[in-house]
Amino acid sequence: MAVVPKINVGDDYREKYGFFDPEKFTFKAKRGLTPEVVKEISWMKSEPEWMTKFRLRSLEIFRKKPMPNWGADLSHIDFENIFYFLRASEKPGKTWDEVPADVKRTFDRLGIPEAERKFLAGVSAQYESEVVYHSLHKELSDKGVIFLDTDSGLREHPELFKEYFGTVIPPADNKFSALNSAVWSGGSFIYVPKGVRVDIPLQAYFRINAENMGQFERTLIICDEGSFVHYIEGCTAPMYTTDSLHSAVVEIIVKKGARCRYTTIQNWSTNVYNLVTKRAVAYADATMEWVDGNLGSQVTMKYPSVYMMEPGAKGDVLSVAFAGKGQHQDAGAKMVHVAPNTTSTITSKSISKAGGRTTYRGLVKVYPQAENCKSFVKCDALLLDAESRSDTYPYNEVEAENVTLGHEATVSKVSDEQLFYLMSRGIPLAEAETMIVNGFIEPFTKELPLEYAVELNRLIQLEMEGSVG
Amino acid sequence: MPFTKESVEEIASLHEEPDWLRKRRREAFEVYERLALPSKIDEEWRRVDFKGLKLDEFRAFEEPNGAAPGVPIDGAAGVLRQRGSAPGKVDLDPELAAKGVVFLPLSQGAKEHRELVEKRLFSEVRPDRDKFAAVHAALFSGGTLLYVPDFVEIEQPLVGQYWSSGGGAAVLPHTLIVAGKGAKFNYLDEFLSPSLDQPALTSGSAEIFLGEGAQVGYVALQKWGRHAYQFANQRVHVGKEATARLFNVTLGARFAKVRVEANLQGPGGMAELKGIYFASDDQFFDFHTLQDHQVGQTTSDLLFKGALRDTARTVYAGLIRIEKDSARSDAYQANRNLLLSKQAKAYSIPMLEIINNDVRCTHGATVGPIDPEHLFYLASRGIPKAVAQRMIVQGFFGEVADRIPFEQARRLVAEELEARLG
Repeated sequence: MAVVPKINVGDDYREKYGFFDPEKFTFKAKRGLTPEVVKEISWMKSEPEWMTKFRLRSLEIFRKKPMPNWGADLSHIDFENIFYFLRASEKPGKTWDEVPADVKRTFDRLGIPEAERKFLAGVSAQYESEVVYHSLHKELSDKGVIFLDTDSGLREHPELFKEYFGTVIPPADNKFSALNSAVWSGGSFIYVPKGVRVDIPLQAYFRINAENMGQFERTLIICDEGSFVHYIEGCTAPMYTTDSLHSAVVEIIVKKGARCRYTTIQNWSTNVYNLVTKRAVAYADATMEWVDGNLGSQVTMKYPSVYMMEPGAKGDVLSVAFAGKGQHQDAGAKMVHVAPNTTSTITSKSISKAGGRTTYRGLVKVYPQAENCKSFVKCDALLLDAESRSDTYPYNEVEAENVTLGHEATVSKVSDEQLFYLMSRGIPLAEAETMIVNGFIEPFTKELPLEYAVELNRLIQLEMEGSVG
Repeated sequence: MPFTKESVEEIASLHEEPDWLRKRRREAFEVYERLALPSKIDEEWRRVDFKGLKLDEFRAFEEPNGAAPGVPIDGAAGVLRQRGSAPGKVDLDPELAAKGVVFLPLSQGAKEHRELVEKRLFSEVRPDRDKFAAVHAALFSGGTLLYVPDFVEIEQPLVGQYWSSGGGAAVLPHTLIVAGKGAKFNYLDEFLSPSLDQPALTSGSAEIFLGEGAQVGYVALQKWGRHAYQFANQRVHVGKEATARLFNVTLGARFAKVRVEANLQGPGGMAELKGIYFASDDQFFDFHTLQDHQVGQTTSDLLFKGALRDTARTVYAGLIRIEKDSARSDAYQANRNLLLSKQAKAYSIPMLEIINNDVRCTHGATVGPIDPEHLFYLASRGIPKAVAQRMIVQGFFGEVADRIPFEQARRLVAEELEARLG
């Protein structure tokens, strides 16, 4: 067995974030990845045969695909030392009362019940690989909106599920989508019918809480013609002593005239490998928006993409990355213009501190038939000290006529003038720097629902503590 | 004769090269034999297609024939003319020679000024970079040595003209420029050939060394015929307080893969890298640029502008690299592409790697057609569309052409662009 290096995530992690509960599982699969493990997962979930076959086929692909030879350092991942499936409690809970107390306690700290009381429609809270708590506002079910965990989605809506599952991101897309396809568990399944607007954001919290446990959630969102939905995925994770792998797949279909917004705040503890494939296809006049914040994890490789398949489609990515000590955030976006008259924008903001490294890696591809497209990419990076690093790798591939494409990027430090101004008003250095950083990412925070914006500002504050002086 | 050990010996003999240089060619040839052709798995070569190119079918050098190269440049302080693979002929203002300026065919320079050449030749443009750099170092067909001693200033430009007239051969000139402390001068390399049926392998690599406080302008004007496959590396080593202005103009060849690189090695050093390219028909150009800030307090400024029409394809990939200790550096990088046809394709990849926070780095890239509003404005002033289009393209290039370091080259490039716009 390979030696997994110990990573120090800071002794004060528990005090800072305070999420750590003793492990308690009803089922824990064996470590390692074999066809037997995959079959066992499928059997445990009583899946139809096509899904079992799909998983096994994906496992084959995973084994054949080489590791990516670009991007972040992934050489420490030991696929044989990971639990591929865990289930914390037997059944998905239907009401809040049925959720086990220790699970609740963790969610309390994340503020879910609070948020729910206010205005949340449905909460699909994932605790260990499987959904334990799930509630859906009656009003939405009446409108025909489906909001389930993905396993229930497969059980309760097999035809709808089969029609779209794996169509946006096939298992062979990359090594980690193949892995996810083989061992996926949990995630959200959302269907918004024609013309239905879901005015309040749908949320799910994902947590991983067992040593060496990978989490492979799989989310599928279908926005039928003219509909609108805002889905929020937030991640926090307690500390671990060995590497953990998180490899999700998110597939979104946005049909004619529909609009989908997908918001993520990723705050895994700093020993997690976060390797996620997120992709949406947008049809005529549809809009897809990714709002993506990456704060935690040891390594993140994530490039939300939008394939604009029909005229009038629009893609939008707004992302923020924060890399502290030992972290590498290799994030970006992909905009693929397949049809004419499509537009896209990418705004990326990154902050590196204490030797952290942020990388923007993006692609804007315009196919020959996609005339009259517009795309604009803007990347700003802030380096808070001399040890940190920032890279920008924007790939622009234009093959069509009448395309306007722009890219801009800046890399800088916190300006001395700004610091001087704030300090001349009696604000201490550390606080002034935090204010400047919060101001830098404001275009991002202002797109978030209020309680997330507050949480993000608080997280930045925590990250900034002890950064100067 | 194809690329063999014997052809290496033969070209060394043709130029009557000293033994140390002959040995260096042999070593480079070993590297050439060892290295595989770059594959599409390498990021740098992913968008490059040289399928039509068969290295073992080229003759290693070319007998001089055909007409004399190029139009004479008015008032040049020195001119070196080279035809095919034969050693070049030099005219140099005797006053400059008296001041210690060395302007010689590279092989003669290697013999007479070993101390200048030996330690520098192929130290910036290394043979092991790839198979094409290796074949260039093994079989380079002469070239120029220019040495300008400390504090010598030359008002008029020096010119190297390389003329190739035969297809099916390799013509690989190499320019080595050494600027002493505080030296000031401009240099123009011109690469010319008619378009022929048989493909040719060409280069046009340059190594430029700037001593403390030197100010050097270098223009490379590439007008190889449409049969040429060009693989070139132009790299400048910038010392303390020195200023290098490199200007690359790529117009010819069917295929051009060019690296333009600045190696900033002294505080206060400044490199300006500018480029113009115009690709039409089925031309393919690939530019990889590097602004390597090895020390702090260095500045670099890059602007590459290109126009494309017909089914032409171009790739621009540039990297600004700021090393860990290179504080107070300032780097700028921009690539602008004008698409004049439906089928033209431009890839633009401006990259940054920044490992120090006390810096200022910005970059930008655009790809787009002529702004219809600009056309409309000119049309409303009664200017026909074709003329308006031409004016807009000229204006597009004008911004960067104004930065060509000296008048003669500016005029020459303007004439070439006008001819291309037709």
